[in-house]
Amino acid sequence: MRILVTLLGVALGLAEGVAQAQGEAAATGSWVGPFTVVAAGIGMAIAAGLCGLGQARAIAAALEGMARQPGAAARIQTAMIIGLALIESLAIYTLVIAIILLFANPFK
Amino acid sequence: MEALEPPIFNTFGIPHHVAFAWLVMLVLMALAVAIPRRPALVPRGLQNALEAVLEFILGLIDDVIGPEGRRFLPLIATLGLFIFASNLLGLVPGFTAPTDNVNTTGACALVVFFSYHWIGIRQQGLGAYFRHFAGPMPALAPLMVPIELISHLARPLSLTLRLFGNMLGGHILLSIVFFMTVGLSSWALSGAAGVAGLLIGSFGAVATVVFTVGFLFPLKLLVAFLQAFIFVMLSMLYIAGALEADHGAEHGPGGHAGPGVPAPAHH
Repeated sequence: MRILVTLLGVALGLAEGVAQAQGEAAATGSWVGPFTVVAAGIGMAIAAGLCGLGQARAIAAALEGMARQPGAAARIQTAMIIGLALIESLAIYTLVIAIILLFANPFK
Repeated sequence: MEALEPPIFNTFGIPHHVAFAWLVMLVLMALAVAIPRRPALVPRGLQNALEAVLEFILGLIDDVIGPEGRRFLPLIATLGLFIFASNLLGLVPGFTAPTDNVNTTGACALVVFFSYHWIGIRQQGLGAYFRHFAGPMPALAPLMVPIELISHLARPLSLTLRLFGNMLGGHILLSIVFFMTVGLSSWALSGAAGVAGLLIGSFGAVATVVFTVGFLFPLKLLVAFLQAFIFVMLSMLYIAGALEADHGAEHGPGGHAGPGVPAPAHH
């Protein structure tokens, strides 16, 4: 309950701050502009955090397998590298969206 | 973003990624023609190095597609070498990697997309290849076909964005570190903050340079090789999937459960 109230307060404060900022901002009717910066930052943070968790599980499983069977270490390492790159690519998709929002914002 | 453009190669009307892609093509072609017309039986020097690279890629193909996939070596090796060389070009200060532009990576991904479909169609025939989209049972077809279509369309998209995002992210990071170093040292040397500012600023600049050369560059080297490796590995997996959709039981990829260690070099 307290967490919900806190989150609501933060959201209201954020909205008021953004509204004040865009009181002087572009008059083309794009009220989304200032929110895209927040979206880029928070989205990238969430993506990076979850990507870290996923990669940690992959590495932990690979290390356990290598400890059990040192003879298979090379094959496990190859599969682990491929798995890490695939997990990381999900965070890279979020990075691409953040870069587009920051440098080539279609809502400015 | 204009500050991130390379100062060299200001060719007229030609975008930077095109000019540097031509440079990569020139370098790769020069490497290829440097081998004499009849290669020596016992390779030395440059021929030895290039043969080692091709042996590595052949080992990967044997592991993933199987021995009958060796005829795709030109496609796979060209893609791999072009992407690796392009990624490496981004590490040279003043150059920009052609692969940090979505057009180059999109072109490579589209080549892979049309290649593996064409390979599958040529292997199994038009009707049989598309009948595999329907899944194991005809009753599941209305469910399986949209899922298969979306997953097949997502493949070139993911290939493009993965390579593009990695290269562009590294490029932006290096540029920001570079400008931070320049800004820090100019602030320190301008005397605006006195002797303390000079000391802190110069120490910060040296620390940033050491961090960049010692940690960021090796990391970017690793990422350059890794992204080319992943691209090539995924292309081989897609080709293997297109080939073995018909005869998956009798002729799997060498009997391995998945990508494994490349075959040891035997020369």
